[in-house]
Amino acid sequence: MKAGLFISEGDGAISGVIDVRALEARYDGAEVVRVLDNLHCAASLRLIAEEVRNRKLDAVVLAGESPLFYSRTRNGGRILEMLQGLDINANRIGIVNLREQVSIPHAKEPVEATKKAKVLIDVAMEKVRVLRDVGMIEVAPKRTVAVIGSQPGGFFTAMRLLERGFHILFIDHRPVPPEGDFLPQVIPTIASVKNHPDVKFYSAGITDLYGYAGNFRIKLGGDINLRAGGIVVSIGDDAEYAGRLYPYLRIERDSNGHFRNVMSDTAVTETVNPGIFLIPPGPHLSHTIASADSAAMSLDALLSKNSVNHELFVSEVDQEVCGGCGTCIKTCIFKASEIDQVTKLSSTNIKRCVGCGNCVSACPTGARDQVSATTKYLMSAIGILSGYEPPNGIKVLYLACEGCGYPSLDYAGKEGIEYATSVMPLSVKCAGRIDTQLILEAFRRGFRGVVICKCSDDHCLNIVGNLDLDRRANLFRAVLGSRGISPERLRIFGVTSCEGGSCVANAMDFINHLKTLEATA
Amino acid sequence: MKKLKVSTGHLDGCFGCHIAILDMHEELLPLLDVIDIVRSPINDVKEIVEADLCILDGSIGNTKDEAVAKEFRKKSGKVLALGTCAALGGINGLRNLFGLDEVLARSYTENESTVDGRVPSSPDIPALRKHVRALHQVIDVDYAVPGCPPTPGMIKSALVALLNNQEPLLPKKNLCHECNRVHKAMYEPKREFVTADVSSIMELDEIDPQKCFLEQGLLCMGPATREGCDARCVKGNTPCRGCMGPTPDALEQGAKMINAIASILPAGALMFMEDVVGIGYRYSLPVSIMPFREDR
Repeated sequence: MKAGLFISEGDGAISGVIDVRALEARYDGAEVVRVLDNLHCAASLRLIAEEVRNRKLDAVVLAGESPLFYSRTRNGGRILEMLQGLDINANRIGIVNLREQVSIPHAKEPVEATKKAKVLIDVAMEKVRVLRDVGMIEVAPKRTVAVIGSQPGGFFTAMRLLERGFHILFIDHRPVPPEGDFLPQVIPTIASVKNHPDVKFYSAGITDLYGYAGNFRIKLGGDINLRAGGIVVSIGDDAEYAGRLYPYLRIERDSNGHFRNVMSDTAVTETVNPGIFLIPPGPHLSHTIASADSAAMSLDALLSKNSVNHELFVSEVDQEVCGGCGTCIKTCIFKASEIDQVTKLSSTNIKRCVGCGNCVSACPTGARDQVSATTKYLMSAIGILSGYEPPNGIKVLYLACEGCGYPSLDYAGKEGIEYATSVMPLSVKCAGRIDTQLILEAFRRGFRGVVICKCSDDHCLNIVGNLDLDRRANLFRAVLGSRGISPERLRIFGVTSCEGGSCVANAMDFINHLKTLEATA
Repeated sequence: MKKLKVSTGHLDGCFGCHIAILDMHEELLPLLDVIDIVRSPINDVKEIVEADLCILDGSIGNTKDEAVAKEFRKKSGKVLALGTCAALGGINGLRNLFGLDEVLARSYTENESTVDGRVPSSPDIPALRKHVRALHQVIDVDYAVPGCPPTPGMIKSALVALLNNQEPLLPKKNLCHECNRVHKAMYEPKREFVTADVSSIMELDEIDPQKCFLEQGLLCMGPATREGCDARCVKGNTPCRGCMGPTPDALEQGAKMINAIASILPAGALMFMEDVVGIGYRYSLPVSIMPFREDR
């Protein structure tokens, strides 16, 4: 394994706190270590690409921006594409969040921030070392787009796509309202879409939806099976309908229950679920039309490709170990765990699996593992994180789900909220992935508290991951008690994805609570 | 042909694993043509002598167990940990949840049948160790056969493998694999299924001998337990208690059972909640991620 470590100065924002030169000098696990002004400008990217090519690197660790920069912005996404274009497997790309989770919240403690940064880099290096390459599948995109909802925006997207030869499926839980119900200036577009031969209307509830960007399968009540390459959600501000669609679409919702885009300024129509686009209700019709055009453009770009590649970040089953108990079948809300009728062993339906890892936690044999974060990796990561010794303060493991917990901690950073360096973050795909074995390992390794920040009720992108964590934790508290660890040393709280302040307040309150607990013990 | 010299020894346990050796009955006889039992409680040879293979049952609970295990290790080519106590620490290991003072007080002074009891103290009595440990946590162990006790068949297979210079292999799957009960609700991709609220096995008038115990609301440790025991309890219409310990790919048994049960509620959950720790770690606490209580 030849890994390259690229550390960003954050154009001064990171290097103003963290001694990046010391990190560069101290890091000997990598083939090459480079400190760059930043990791996203053209010159930096050229240099990274050169190093990958010249030194034949097969793993890259980017220490600087948050993983959310890579998953939620176009520039970040292009950097990952560039690395994969250089034959770096997605599982060999490690990302260390030095900006939002080290340099900003620990701005006043540069020495500790540097020590913590080193540990977080170690975790990313461990990840690219121990994970196996993730496989890919190719999907030939369908040139059909499903529009969910009957708001004007959906009609405008439909019109644009019809002009480019796409087929459109309108899906709503109620019949399309008569044209007279719409604003006069949008009626001509709605009328022309309604009359178009390549448009079909369905008024029925969605009962099943799975697949990937490029090929979704949608089932409606009344046994109607549809296929679409992409999906546009145009339901306006109907929070009740959003609530019914959320288990199928798995898009974030805000605290009012409305679907959220990933970035309200630069990625207005993108959602956390690739291939599903959103036309958010805008204050003016012009916003809606702009969003509709943007969604149409993105779908055209996506679905006009010859093939779309997907990494198989799924749950894998070791058939040598699976005994066919059926626990994973009952665990999976997405019906992605299947039992073979002949061998009576479990397997994963890769079209349905979202990779949340709930079945990996549930599997009592260890036959199941998560391709994006194996149990071995998570156990090592906990061990490495426990190696940071804060000068004062109580060391706690902060397990954050990628849905809400991790983004919230990032928001805290963006808002400039400071907190103790002794909060050691580890992101997991979903609260459902938090196997109680990991919590026990954290205490064994010397963490004095474990705090889990998960999606609040009805906000879990994997629908039941947060619920299953609660059930596991409720049973597990007795185990902590039996080992002489106060069950109060495990705290779980839920947030929606942009509550930076409350997640830090909760973590700090937890640390204060532990101080009281230890003082009175 | 030179016979394989075998010694057997007994540490902290109930002697059931030695009885299981005898339970091979007449199948033991052909083995005796090729092995020579040079030292064993069975033939009442007390001195620990040199052997090609030593079979030890029981966990390490006191100073004598530790000394005896080390002596055997020194004088034996290979060491086989026989039974769950030797392999995983076993049921004795549950005392790791208590301090030594609590354990001694419970046994010698607080016990309901004891009058004016006192904790014995004499240099002749081996001192209890603070924690019970599995054999491999004290000496190097070459092979292990779990089970409380292992079936005579398992012991025979292990010996036959060793006689053929092969490593005795243990299965990797859970008990559900060799349990022939019918799974129906467990195989339906629905989150919950309705079972009777059963908090004790005695509550049921009848237990369906064909149907998965969990589907009947009964707690069965089978999903979190290694197979290989021939599912003998299950065949006797009794749910698995987990004596074979965790499967090798699970990090431990208790936490894994919690993870699984939480996903299949309410199956077996009421019975489990009667004693989550005692049931989950009944046989394998000393090999848990946290094998003892830290504050006592």
